[in-house]
Amino acid sequence: MSETNYAGGTGNGGKLPEELKDTVTLTNLDMMVEAMSKIVDPIANWARSNSVWPLTFGTSCCAIEMMSVGMSAFDISRFGSEVFRATPRQADMIITAGTITRKMAPALITLYEQLPEPKYVMAMGACTITGGMFNDSYSVVQGVDRIIPVDVYLPGCPPRPEGILDALLKLQQKIRTESYVERRKRRYAQTAVRYVDYDSGLVIDPVRATVEQAIDDMEEAMNNRSEF
Amino acid sequence: MTEPAAPKPAEQPKELPAGQFGQFLKDLGIGSKRLADSCGVETIEVAAADMEVALKRLKNSSETGLNLLITVSGLDSPESFDSVYHLWSYTDPEKELVVKVSLGKATIPEGKLPYVTSITPFWAAANWHERETYDLMGIRYIGHPYLRRILNPWDWEGHPLRRDYKQLIDALNDKNPQSFR
Ligand code: SF4
Repeated sequence: MSETNYAGGTGNGGKLPEELKDTVTLTNLDMMVEAMSKIVDPIANWARSNSVWPLTFGTSCCAIEMMSVGMSAFDISRFGSEVFRATPRQADMIITAGTITRKMAPALITLYEQLPEPKYVMAMGACTITGGMFNDSYSVVQGVDRIIPVDVYLPGCPPRPEGILDALLKLQQKIRTESYVERRKRRYAQTAVRYVDYDSGLVIDPVRATVEQAIDDMEEAMNNRSEF
Repeated sequence: MTEPAAPKPAEQPKELPAGQFGQFLKDLGIGSKRLADSCGVETIEVAAADMEVALKRLKNSSETGLNLLITVSGLDSPESFDSVYHLWSYTDPEKELVVKVSLGKATIPEGKLPYVTSITPFWAAANWHERETYDLMGIRYIGHPYLRRILNPWDWEGHPLRRDYKQLIDALNDKNPQSFR
């Protein structure tokens, strides 16, 4: 089979190829999971939604409000998110607190892709929604949703700590309505929307295009050579 | 200590009398041109060739004692690129000086960057300032130990604070096509 099935489970849409019918028995784990999920999902989601651990990620002034919301006056631990993890491997969510520049974009993309599934992004502040007051700047990414998928938008410059709590509650609502099976059916890992080159600050598609062009050229050259 | 700031309108092309530091340099045989004071601070322009010696003298002499380099910055004037040095004194806060080195745009060959001597070898504080000026204004500092872009990504195209800089528009920032770029 040329197609790779990343999601595991039955693949091929649950159908067995005709010629294997006699020899292979499929254990359909997915069906069991689907049946169980009606009972398990509410409990699991409740647990997950009340322990959304954010990544320690702050690039400018919004990060001050993010720190403030972690301190005792606003106390994000009332909602189970007090554990700011310093590594993406242990976090569930990124609060993109601050302006994302072209130089920071590759780092943010790496961090996002290092988060284990399920992962969430809260775009905090005008800067990460549209570019904010740096909208016209040569170096600023106009909205973090241009590089990674966003779950909750939190406007403000900077948003008040209560705003962050509100956005967190919104995210918790979203998590509670999720279904494990639906997530599992998705045959791909969540990846960045587009990639940015670290050295030049440019979107990587053109770079990839040139590489592909070079490969094509090479293949063509090889083909031409075999005629001799 | 400093001269009483005489506010001179710009249209007076009259030669200004040499200030305290201009006089000091003149006594050492280094020519300088006095410009209009900037915020009450003596401002002089020296030739690019004299700049290194002049700053060395101003830094090390006990008479001037300008031993603190506040900033190195760049300026894109209509006729020239200027490299500007703000000096100050730890020992005598009254002393302050702005030194300007003007690099005429007419003398710069096509496709080349203007250049001045780096002062980083004897004034380590200039290191990152010169890198920043190189990054944003495109003035090369000859003799700098590590002249590489400091704020922008390393392979960035162009120097963003120049007047003729054309902003790159790609998928990361095409949200606002009506902007004043
Ligand atoms: S949205 Fe405002 S407060 Fe937040 S990072 Fe941008 S400028 Fe700073």
